[in-house]
Amino acid sequence: MGQPTPERYRVCIDIGGTFTDCVVSDDAQDLRIFKTPSTPGAFEQGFMNALALAAEGCGLALPDFMARVERIVHGTTVSTNALLEGKHAAVGLICTHGFRDILTLREAPRKPPFRWRLSYPEPFVPRPRTRGVRGRIDTTGTERAPLAENDVLAAVEDFRQLGVEAVAVCLLWSVVNGEHERRVGEIVRAAWPEVPVTLSHRLNPIAREYRRGVSAAIDAALRPVVSAYVQALERGLRESGYQSELMIANCLGGMMPPEEIAERPIYSVMSGPTLAPVAARRLADAPDLVVVDMGGTSFDVSAVRDGQLVISPEAMLTEFDMLGIPKVDVRSVGAGGGSIAHVDAGGLLRVGPESAGADPGPACYGLGGTRPTVTDADVVLGIIDPDYFLGGRMRLDRDAAERAVGTIADALGIELAAAARAIASTVDHTMIAAIEDITVQEGIDPRESYFVAGGGATALHMGQMARVLGVTGYMVPKFSAGLSAFGGLISDIVWEETATLVTDAARFDLDGVNGLLAALMERGRAFLARAGIAESGQRFEYAYLGRYQYQSWEIEVPFAARDGALAATDVAGLADAFHRMHERIYTIKNEDDLVEFTTWKVRAIGPAATDLAPASGAAPAREARAYGERRVHLPGRVGDATVPVYRGDDLAPGHRVAGPAIVEEATTTVLVPEDATAVVDDLGNYRVRLA
Amino acid sequence: MDDQAPFPADTIVVGGDGIGEAPAPDFDPMMLSVLSSRFSAILREMSNGVLRASKSGVIKIARDMSCAILTYDHRLVCIEECIPVHAAAIDLTTRPLTELFDDIEEGDAFLNNCPYTGVTHHADLTLCVPVFFDGKPLFWTVSRAHHADVGAPIPSTYLPYAKTIYEEGLHFPGVRVERGYREIRDIIRMARMKVRVPDLWYGDYLAQVGACRTAERRIRELVEKYGTETVAAFVEAWMAYGERRAAAAIGTLPAGTWSYENRHDPLPGVADEGIPVRASVTVDPEEALITVDVRDNIDCIPGGLNLSETCSIAACRAGVFYNIDHTIPHNEGSARRIRVLLRDNCIVGRPRYPVGTSVATTNVTDRLVNAVSCCFAQIGPTHGMAEGGYQQALGLAVISGEDPRRDGQAYVNQMFIGFGGGPGLPGHDGWITYGGPVDGGMQILSPTEVDESMFPILFECRELAVDTLGHGEWDGAPGTLAVYGPVAGEMTAVYCSDGDTYPSKGVRGGGDGAPSVNQKRGADGALVTLPSFHEERCAPGEMFRFVTTAGGGYGEPTRREPAAVARAVDNGWLSKEKAEEVYAVALRLAPDGITHEVDGRETARRRQAQGGGAGG
Repeated sequence: MGQPTPERYRVCIDIGGTFTDCVVSDDAQDLRIFKTPSTPGAFEQGFMNALALAAEGCGLALPDFMARVERIVHGTTVSTNALLEGKHAAVGLICTHGFRDILTLREAPRKPPFRWRLSYPEPFVPRPRTRGVRGRIDTTGTERAPLAENDVLAAVEDFRQLGVEAVAVCLLWSVVNGEHERRVGEIVRAAWPEVPVTLSHRLNPIAREYRRGVSAAIDAALRPVVSAYVQALERGLRESGYQSELMIANCLGGMMPPEEIAERPIYSVMSGPTLAPVAARRLADAPDLVVVDMGGTSFDVSAVRDGQLVISPEAMLTEFDMLGIPKVDVRSVGAGGGSIAHVDAGGLLRVGPESAGADPGPACYGLGGTRPTVTDADVVLGIIDPDYFLGGRMRLDRDAAERAVGTIADALGIELAAAARAIASTVDHTMIAAIEDITVQEGIDPRESYFVAGGGATALHMGQMARVLGVTGYMVPKFSAGLSAFGGLISDIVWEETATLVTDAARFDLDGVNGLLAALMERGRAFLARAGIAESGQRFEYAYLGRYQYQSWEIEVPFAARDGALAATDVAGLADAFHRMHERIYTIKNEDDLVEFTTWKVRAIGPAATDLAPASGAAPAREARAYGERRVHLPGRVGDATVPVYRGDDLAPGHRVAGPAIVEEATTTVLVPEDATAVVDDLGNYRVRLA
Repeated sequence: MDDQAPFPADTIVVGGDGIGEAPAPDFDPMMLSVLSSRFSAILREMSNGVLRASKSGVIKIARDMSCAILTYDHRLVCIEECIPVHAAAIDLTTRPLTELFDDIEEGDAFLNNCPYTGVTHHADLTLCVPVFFDGKPLFWTVSRAHHADVGAPIPSTYLPYAKTIYEEGLHFPGVRVERGYREIRDIIRMARMKVRVPDLWYGDYLAQVGACRTAERRIRELVEKYGTETVAAFVEAWMAYGERRAAAAIGTLPAGTWSYENRHDPLPGVADEGIPVRASVTVDPEEALITVDVRDNIDCIPGGLNLSETCSIAACRAGVFYNIDHTIPHNEGSARRIRVLLRDNCIVGRPRYPVGTSVATTNVTDRLVNAVSCCFAQIGPTHGMAEGGYQQALGLAVISGEDPRRDGQAYVNQMFIGFGGGPGLPGHDGWITYGGPVDGGMQILSPTEVDESMFPILFECRELAVDTLGHGEWDGAPGTLAVYGPVAGEMTAVYCSDGDTYPSKGVRGGGDGAPSVNQKRGADGALVTLPSFHEERCAPGEMFRFVTTAGGGYGEPTRREPAAVARAVDNGWLSKEKAEEVYAVALRLAPDGITHEVDGRETARRRQAQGGGAGG
């Protein structure tokens, strides 16, 4: 067609455990996706590989391409991987004398209740590297015992001997009076300048010593790793001739400059998957969304409520350890294409959480795996075409899949196809439970939400899940396999400033709260200025954490504040909003009860450019043409059905595909269920409606 | 099963009936997984609701609460994250309701906390909501939570000297508290008048109502979606599945009978020699039945340590469930494979009205759960566990007083400051935040900063204690040491500590855990040891000090992996001297000059000299 080479590009690179996804948009708003294997150990290599691939795909030499890129956003798994593999700095923890076991005693029950064959999980910082220092602040901020500075020096000496590489400090009640923590930080820095220090009250000002302490320890552990990584990235980019902006995704669903993330690296943990709801919020026009992403070993679910990302204060790092900081709520369960099926002693079929992973992978990969997986079941059912997996780039072994699934059929005494269907249904229900965990448990009816399916395998299973949940419509984005990367492309610059001030609706400390909000606003403004956002482009959102008197688990309630200040007449509204939220979540409210406000949050936002990928809409309807057909075993049907197969490349906006049908894209396959229709919208996304 | 009744007339036989009689119903295996996970999800939502919306620390922080779903004919469908002793016999709790009422309707709710109508003990207020669909009752949703106060004569929910229930405070022996989804206000008014902290009480009560009503709605949605018939068929298939799983697990155990006895600490004036607790476990792999016989125990005593019938059955079931595959569903079906033999008027049996059972959920019940587990330990070196730490020391005291920082407002709350250590078991050291045998790690310690902000209390320390753990090839978990006192005003602490005199025993050659300690430090710094069952006031300047019981060890300490011994020393739980003496290891300082490493050659020599424990 001879189109001119675009003048400018934007790029997002999302590095996952297995694949590095790169999404490129140009000034004509055309999007392209590139996938390359991740390079654990030196993730920056995969990052540069992805850029080289993208340059090639755009028909440009790398320097020419880089000269035209105006922004790169990066979602990285480097911190997540460092934590999973224990390849992070050895942390020394300084805590209050007499409280060295805060990270061992935790805030989590053993579970499930009758599981005894289980060893107590090691604390994030081993006890030998935990040192107490004398000195005590109480709940009112009063100093009850002065800080014993010699204890700090002694701790530093021990830490040197023990090979400590980063120091975390968590003293009791530092959130009310941070003086002792600040002084500990000064002493450590003076005595040992080359070692990074995280102070808990600066990082995460919440009152609960385990959460604050574990977050400080995780942050300290990541500082050397993330700093080195950011430096390697910047060096690589410089060498490629890149001179524009680099932004790193954080786990609040936004992005921030690399030097900011290097200062608080814990905020990069599990940040990639948090970009999925960011993407979904832009693509779909409904206020309440559920975003699902089925990968090889895990299934991630997140939600958008009233157009807002859902932030959870209780994200878990492991089964027993918390992350300790607020994070976009993404729930993960061990259900994916590689999940292994088996029949237990009572004759019940179980699928996952054990996974065949990428190596050996499902039996049909032909890499030595023999145990039946979900992907094998999908091959047996005919939903996955063994000859067109990943657009034909990988051939699958149908016989191996049948042999593997056959073991389940024998154990259950049922037909092969029925066994495959049972595996698919079982994994569907594991995923459904995860969806309910983040919806019904939080007071959201999933049927009132619109679903967005990201990830390569999700669109095979989404139809059946939608039926069970009673959901009537969902979207499979054109680039569902790179949904998070797309999210990075359109994400805002975001940071949250938080502080604690306990007051209640009866004796509301208006001046105190306004003073606090002003201070938080100022810090937010400073952050945005550092990120290059002019004052006119800065936006702020407000929320408080509230509870009924004597409750301990606060709920987050957003509120409006003109220019960051509340008027006396606003207080009743604050409490009303709490009653409504409480009823929505817990079925009950008590309007006679006293509402307490504990924590105040200001979100500082530098909005992303809005010219990219406007909310998609309908295009004129037209019927699509199938390129072939295939025998497929459909849910709720006896025997196979002949189903038309469409190629994504043949479809254009407005095309309608009536179910049952299969649409094959290069990086995903969509199973359009019976009694459903998929319509291609003006951005190439599939909008599926169930009857 | 024998055709003739094989038991004396005063024996109460629970479970073990109808074995093998129920034909396995034909039910789609896929729907079995689907509906069981749906019910689990509903329960999780319920538990979460109670936890988050409640107000007293004992529920909202320590999660001393459980939820359950039962069929309308009182068969347990499932339990999720629960306190085992709360839930394992919760079927007894709804049973009286259908006997007491002939007018149960949609929109009703019942409150039950009476040991003589199927509840664990008086502090476990249990809300029961019938679930109707199309006018027919199908299920019960049940929320049980330990309340901070139930109006007993003293500010505590554990009253060891309460001989009868007249000394326990409020009882609701299955009382209707909602009709047509509306609160029956006179009942609530009565409760509010009697308890010391009415607003707290009501907040907790409302959290339970919310959770039961939410679950009611969810179950109705489920029935609407899948149909009454499918759900009814599921229930039968699910029970049968539970029974099959339990039978398969029991079938792999060797046949035999094993007995075990331990002893609860003396209760002065009531049981001066302590209370022996005996259990015997008979495994019949052919019948796939386990019988737990606890009839050979003393009669009820004139105090509050007697078990309610619900606790007796729950303890026996929990003791078995702890020692077989945890993935077996804990429902009516699997419980059927556990036959419990109780005796009337027995301290671990069925109490005779109006005998007191105020402390039924912990002390003697803890002893019983351990006794059952330790029977399993005798089967062989891959079975059972040691005795887990006992509880109710000053770390779990009910504290009360007036808060000078809140205009003298009264406070009463059970603290969760320090837990007993878990037992060693094959392949694993004890669970550190174990609590006690009845809850086994399902509760959570409250954060120091939460306690200090809520009550006028100040902590000096809270750490795992040195040289307390029970030594073994698999160690028991260490006890916890803490020191606390009032930051302002006077504070009263009430507690009933077990394990001060008779600590947790090790099994199969493992050592005992250290006993618990309860002390007060005067303003002059002098330490005074306090009685085990006690109420004590603490003035500003004075402090309470306690150490919880550690868990017993499993197996010979000289078989323990030497590197694990070095780690315990480095963790500060074990002194180097004790380590070398008990485990026959030789340790030396590592090059860092702080941590320890094993001198392999010297360790081998010592172990050989001791008679050849294999070791790491």
